[in-house]
Amino acid sequence: MKLWQKIYLLSLLVFVLIFNGASVMVIERTHNRMLNQAIEVALSQNMSIHSSVDAIVPILRIYDSLDYEKTVLTSMAKQFVAKNSSQGIYLDITDGASRTIFNNADFGMPQARRELENLDNSSIHYILRDVGDRTILFTVNHAQINQKNYVFTYMKDLTPVYQDRIEQYSFFAKVDSAACVLFMIVMFFVSRGLTQSIERLNRTSQIIAQGNFSERVKVKSRDEIGILGSSFNEMAEVVEDKINELERNNDEKQRFIDNFTHELKTPLTSIVGYANFLRTTKYNEKLFLDALGVIYDEGKRLEALSLKLMDLIMLKKEQFQMERQEMRALLLEMKPTLEMMAKEKEVIIRLDCQEGRLELERDLIKVLVFNLVDNALKASFAGGTVTLRTYWREGSYVLAVIDQGIGIAEEHLNKIFEPFYMADKARTRSSNGAGLGLALCGNIADIHHAVIRVSSQVQQGTTIEVVFATEGRGGGPE
Amino acid sequence: MTKKILIIEDDIHISKIIKMNLNLVNYDTTEVYDGLAAIEILKREKFDLILLDVMIPHLDGFELMERIKPYGTPVIFLTAKNSVYDKVNGLKLGADDYMVKPFEAIELLARIETVLRRYGKEERMMEFQHVQVDLDKREVLIQMEPVELTPKEYDLLVVLLKNKNIALTREQFLDKVWGGDYYGETRTVDMHIKSLRKKLNLQDQIKTIYKIGYRLED
Repeated sequence: MKLWQKIYLLSLLVFVLIFNGASVMVIERTHNRMLNQAIEVALSQNMSIHSSVDAIVPILRIYDSLDYEKTVLTSMAKQFVAKNSSQGIYLDITDGASRTIFNNADFGMPQARRELENLDNSSIHYILRDVGDRTILFTVNHAQINQKNYVFTYMKDLTPVYQDRIEQYSFFAKVDSAACVLFMIVMFFVSRGLTQSIERLNRTSQIIAQGNFSERVKVKSRDEIGILGSSFNEMAEVVEDKINELERNNDEKQRFIDNFTHELKTPLTSIVGYANFLRTTKYNEKLFLDALGVIYDEGKRLEALSLKLMDLIMLKKEQFQMERQEMRALLLEMKPTLEMMAKEKEVIIRLDCQEGRLELERDLIKVLVFNLVDNALKASFAGGTVTLRTYWREGSYVLAVIDQGIGIAEEHLNKIFEPFYMADKARTRSSNGAGLGLALCGNIADIHHAVIRVSSQVQQGTTIEVVFATEGRGGGPE
Repeated sequence: MTKKILIIEDDIHISKIIKMNLNLVNYDTTEVYDGLAAIEILKREKFDLILLDVMIPHLDGFELMERIKPYGTPVIFLTAKNSVYDKVNGLKLGADDYMVKPFEAIELLARIETVLRRYGKEERMMEFQHVQVDLDKREVLIQMEPVELTPKEYDLLVVLLKNKNIALTREQFLDKVWGGDYYGETRTVDMHIKSLRKKLNLQDQIKTIYKIGYRLED
């Protein structure tokens, strides 16, 4: 059963029970009051008859005649009845031997009269009896006149009191059904209204479950359900972000794998192709040497690729032990190796360094510098200069590698850190590059919490800055 | 008439090895190294078939495919990617076949031949020195005189002619002539080669290649 139906039915049940119970109680109470009042009145009437009889007892004692007694009593009764003729009041007087002296009842007196048992002089008994379709109140008492017992039965028709109750009930039934209908209508909308936002929430969560992660709930109220709605939206937001991130990661990985297989298969295709060509065709010295050259070059390319790839994998796995190192000394130590590399391309290496002690991983920094200088050399023209500068700028230590080479076109600038990205494929390949150098540098910079900035002008040169943030790390010029 | 094949491949080494292999079997080849150059040359020249690498600069192979379509030239994709998606995508775009790197030269030749045949561009007459072969009639002539060959000998001759100047292993011959399901001995190939040499007087031209198999040389 739905929540709104539960709320609806439960509140309807509670309403009916309480409303009816309370109404019945009120009606019954009113009725009992009326009844008691009527009984009180009847009893006092009875008493007044009793007392008027008591008042004439001395006179009757003087005469001491049975007939006279009867006559007096009858005339008293008649007087009384006449006075209250319209009010359904009856009087019955019997003597000790149950002979009727007076009776004006328009119905037969009942045979069994329980109220007469144990009746003594000073008490009044009463009982309610259904006579035909009427309810009659019987009140009885004794009067002793000249050693003789007379029973006075004063009767009052209380049917109007009961009729009144029936009328009350029928009126109540009308009010009750009207109230119920009204309540049902109001409660229907109230319970629907209350649960509608839950329904909305439910629909939205189902839409999200179907993979539409950008769906949100419209929050209208500020009650608990409204709060639930906004928490739900927050949750959906987080989930969506997370999923987007995962998708991005996945795309990145897929791209990496695609590029990697491409980079792996291209040299393999050449190696296999040329080797097979040599194997299956007639010997021709020029072709033979060409093919061997290609096989050697492509083999070297594969070797370089696997080395770079291993570096890249290592960077992702290991926890590095950082130590305080002096950068200038480290660069000076590397200078001979760098100069050897530069010599091949007839490029001059220049060092212009300020001292700076930083938290570094020696070997990684060497790989970083080596790669940056290697790139700079590859971009340089013969006779050019590659400058390595380190200096302090606004609390950061900057390592800059500056060349005067061919530069990088703007469209390539934001992609050069992607693994396997090559701005100039032919040139990169001819120098055994795999397009992994800068990706490697990017990772090393990340490990050192450093940022790499590239500025370049085509045919003017490129400047790559590695900015080591020293804030909170206690570095500074010494 | 020699067939003209356009090789669109950015890796110079691969482009060159393809060219070398195609030239061996007398295809005429033109090489271009990126998508824009390919569009330029297609405007000027007509080709019988295009070998197209997917990952090339400027315009990738899939984009280029759309530009090639109007020329109606058959295309074989060459690529390092071998995901199903790429294959389906390539074929959907109208490529006639798909080759994943690295591939073997004779495999490439066989695919090229199949595609050309589908387009009705295959030579129906083959000639090698004094031997002529009519592929439609399955007839071999020497100086206009028919030569009696068994069906297997005929098939073997055709394989040799189609892979002229390329050595094939005995296994490759078995596979191409007797079919992949045939588990015969490689000696069967030797027997047939011997008989071909004799019947067609090709003792010098069908060379035995040490450690590999046989090669038809001109």
